[in-house]
Amino acid sequence: MTSGKVTKTEQNQNEFRARSEFPTKSPIFIIDDDEMFADCIKKTIKKVDKNLEVIMFKNIIDAMNSLDENLPSLIFLDILLPGPDGFTFLNEIMSYPDTSKIPIILITSLNLEKFDLKVYGIKGILKKDKMKPEEIKVYVERYTN
Amino acid sequence: MNLEVNGILVAAHEMKAPLALMRQLALCLDPEDPNEVREYQQRLISVSERTLKQVSDLSKAARLEDGLFEMEPVAVRNVCDEVESELNSLFRLNSKKLELKYTNKSRLVIANHDLLYSIIYNFCVNAIKYSTANSISRLVVKDQKGHVRVSVRDFGPALPTKIYKKLATNSLNAPVDISFRPDSSGLGLFIATKFANFMHANIGAIRHRDGTSFYVELPISNQASLF
Repeated sequence: MTSGKVTKTEQNQNEFRARSEFPTKSPIFIIDDDEMFADCIKKTIKKVDKNLEVIMFKNIIDAMNSLDENLPSLIFLDILLPGPDGFTFLNEIMSYPDTSKIPIILITSLNLEKFDLKVYGIKGILKKDKMKPEEIKVYVERYTN
Repeated sequence: MNLEVNGILVAAHEMKAPLALMRQLALCLDPEDPNEVREYQQRLISVSERTLKQVSDLSKAARLEDGLFEMEPVAVRNVCDEVESELNSLFRLNSKKLELKYTNKSRLVIANHDLLYSIIYNFCVNAIKYSTANSISRLVVKDQKGHVRVSVRDFGPALPTKIYKKLATNSLNAPVDISFRPDSSGLGLFIATKFANFMHANIGAIRHRDGTSFYVELPISNQASLF
């Protein structure tokens, strides 16, 4: 017969289960209209920590609407998108104190290296034709821990 | 920049995106996971096939005047069925669907089978790219005053007015600037326009608030149909 009292071991097991099933950190946003490419990035992030929540958006409007509910710890952002482009998003999030500090990694096929994008909170630029999964992992480990 | 150089730049940009994706898929693949291997293999095949199709269309567009593409009576429904059959898995892979609706009584049109196939294929790939997740695009074939109209309706962002105007005035004589429509140079549409013009067919688009219908109108063949 059980006493109804939760033992320390059971409590630890429950906490572990909760940590495994539900993400405990702020989500990571991936904003890219190429679903397959975004999915590759998501899989790489999940390999760093499978409990990280990753939210994918195909356009800026959906991502901006979601910012009200979820403040991400990191954003992977494509620049060329249908509708408003990545720069519109950068200008938007820079205008609010709570979102202006979010680290952003650009994922693009454009040559943006010559532009000074630090004012937009850009922490890195990954070229779509040259980037490696290890580089994504480095950014995830740096900005989610 | 002259049209030819711009065209080469646009084509190069169009090839770059799928190649970068294929490279990324290969890099992300975990060889230890058989499910992932199967899934990524499927994706690699799908992306490479689409790219090969585009390269093949580009070569056809450059050789239209070489007498390689004869005009003949073509069973339009059969061509649509072939496109649907080839793209069905791609629609599914992108969580989308293609619905066919045939109401045409005239079965034969005057066209070239390969060029007509490419036009409809391009319309459908466009629908996959620009329609929203879980939406159902419609491939419709219907009679229209001496013509058969084949249209593909997608549900997503409306066609930019600038491309729409170019199509409406039949002045889409070069791929539009790559910054014009993100992730798309309009190359597929430019190729479709070239093929339609070669077949003396009308090509156009209808803007909807929730998407776009692209259509091609082909002259009806009066030859008795065997289909």
